[in-house]
Amino acid sequence: MQVQFKILRQVQGAAPTFQTYVLDVDPSSTILECLNRIKWEQDGTLAFRKNCRNTICGSCSMRINGRSALACKENVASELANFEAATHAQNGNSLPEITVAPMGNMPVIKDLVVDMQSFWDNLKAVDPYVSTAARQIPEREFLQTPAERARLNQTGNCILCGACYSECNAREVNPNFVGPHALAKAYRMVADTRDDRTETRLEQYNFSTDGVWGCTRCYYCNSVCPMEVAPMEQISKIKSEILDRKDAQASRSIRHRKVLINLVKQGGWIDERLFGLQVVGNSFRDLGGILSLAPLGVRMVTKRKFPGKFEASENTQQVRSLIDSVRAIEASGQVQEVVADTPEPVGG
Amino acid sequence: MPASLKYAYFPGCVAQGACRELDQSTKALTRALGIELVELKKAACCGSGTFKEDSQLLEDTVNARNIALAEELNLPLLTHCSTCQGVIGHVDERLKERQETAPQYVEQVNQLLTKEGCSPYKGTSEVKHILWALVGDFGLETLAAKVTRKLSGLKCAAFYGCYLLRAQDHIPYDNPYDPRSLENVFTAVGATPIYYHGRTQCCGWPLSSYATEQSFQMAGKHLQEAIAAGADCIVTPCPLCHLNLDSRQPEVEQVIGKNLGLPIIHLPQLVALALGVSPKELGMDRHIVSTKPILEKLGL
Repeated sequence: MQVQFKILRQVQGAAPTFQTYVLDVDPSSTILECLNRIKWEQDGTLAFRKNCRNTICGSCSMRINGRSALACKENVASELANFEAATHAQNGNSLPEITVAPMGNMPVIKDLVVDMQSFWDNLKAVDPYVSTAARQIPEREFLQTPAERARLNQTGNCILCGACYSECNAREVNPNFVGPHALAKAYRMVADTRDDRTETRLEQYNFSTDGVWGCTRCYYCNSVCPMEVAPMEQISKIKSEILDRKDAQASRSIRHRKVLINLVKQGGWIDERLFGLQVVGNSFRDLGGILSLAPLGVRMVTKRKFPGKFEASENTQQVRSLIDSVRAIEASGQVQEVVADTPEPVGG
Repeated sequence: MPASLKYAYFPGCVAQGACRELDQSTKALTRALGIELVELKKAACCGSGTFKEDSQLLEDTVNARNIALAEELNLPLLTHCSTCQGVIGHVDERLKERQETAPQYVEQVNQLLTKEGCSPYKGTSEVKHILWALVGDFGLETLAAKVTRKLSGLKCAAFYGCYLLRAQDHIPYDNPYDPRSLENVFTAVGATPIYYHGRTQCCGWPLSSYATEQSFQMAGKHLQEAIAAGADCIVTPCPLCHLNLDSRQPEVEQVIGKNLGLPIIHLPQLVALALGVSPKELGMDRHIVSTKPILEKLGL
């Protein structure tokens, strides 16, 4: 079948422009096979990264029809089936159209090749190596049970392709946020029973919005990851470890979480008036925080949007008691753990 | 449309707090369409993604209770919030899967529930956003036939909300990267959909309490894009997106140094307007960014 490829091309320092190529392809062809044919048969100047052709090396990540994915994993048929814009393209020759662009959140070097320096620097920033420095060298290896090892499988599957980083909404507005790939790797270290730096790591990942609190929970990382690493789930697990160790005074991001659960215990639903006052105003301890809310409060009252009253859920007592029971089970260490059924990491 | 549609209505926190106009509009819309709602008065906050950060068991147990309340009534649970949908819908998805793969976990959740006198989770219900109920259960052709006031000429930019698109493993009707259900609703009520990159992105709400500038930059980017694409308003199925895009819009304007003034409409408000419900009944006078320009455009 004939398909038009609309490719965003760019050289450093110039504005990007779309260039189109028409190919006669088998619908089962991968996008990478199509790009290779364009390069070999039509235009040798088209630049893109590639290597293994088999979802192992992570080189060919790019934006295909608007989301980051591996060109070697996606194919023509599924792109045309899943993207309405592709099948109803408004181009001059009425051909189905697949759009290809470079990854986001990283500067373009040429065409589909981006400069991944910040991606690698941010990975390095989480200290992505198991540390056993403080331990005596044992007579045998550092032993792990199969269950302890299984906890590392999901994050171990990361092939560092950059798809999550490319779509990360938080990274777009926060140049200090290390990104989902780095935090998934960070959790791999936290979860590793051989690592002896867990507490220092948690302090490091708790810092400001550079670490886990920079995540805006947009779910893009989970959604685009070609290896089901689910970086946002790993960020959540680090947050959980931090929340276990800190109280509401530690920071506003932590207070946000603690206050929310307390308010649900008090009213079943959240009383939003108290939420702002307790999280941002720190229950009158943070006068600057309260002042920062004043314009919002005035606006809300003026427009009659401010909730004048709060009606608790009809069975708040049951909700409160349920949350306490969950807490008790957790404290007793009897939670039925479900380890993600993830295969061993692929590749080397 | 089936003979009669009936849902267990999960109002959520925001529609009972800072977005009471959403609760009002959902009730007005379902009344106008002949859809029956049974409000879950005993339900509790879904945790808006925050419970899970504390513990997965907490999120699963509180929301298994919410779903079990709908199961008691033999009704699907209806939400009108992208975040509630993503959280409760994903809990439902996960527990249904674990009934097969890790029944001991579901058993633990149910022991916690029954100990407190709640019904156990059975996995017999569905969690459905009102957008999906309109598209899938009511049907857009039936909806279009009920329109008494076509919203002709109104250019609407969708803002889906992350949790509606990406929190669940599977969502009905839409490709999460290229969704069309909101735009199809706009067309059904006579309005014109406007496409822009931001429609599937994060509004910034989760960061707004402690990283306000980052949060408002995010919101500002999408608002400017929607305006540049020619939108008269943004329409959202999520009250948390509404709060960051509407109620914080004056602060967003300060952060990006530009005036915006783009009205942000709740999905049920838009549809109910087309069914002849009055703007006042839909609480459209209670937005921070005035909705007057769009009402004037519609001659209301």
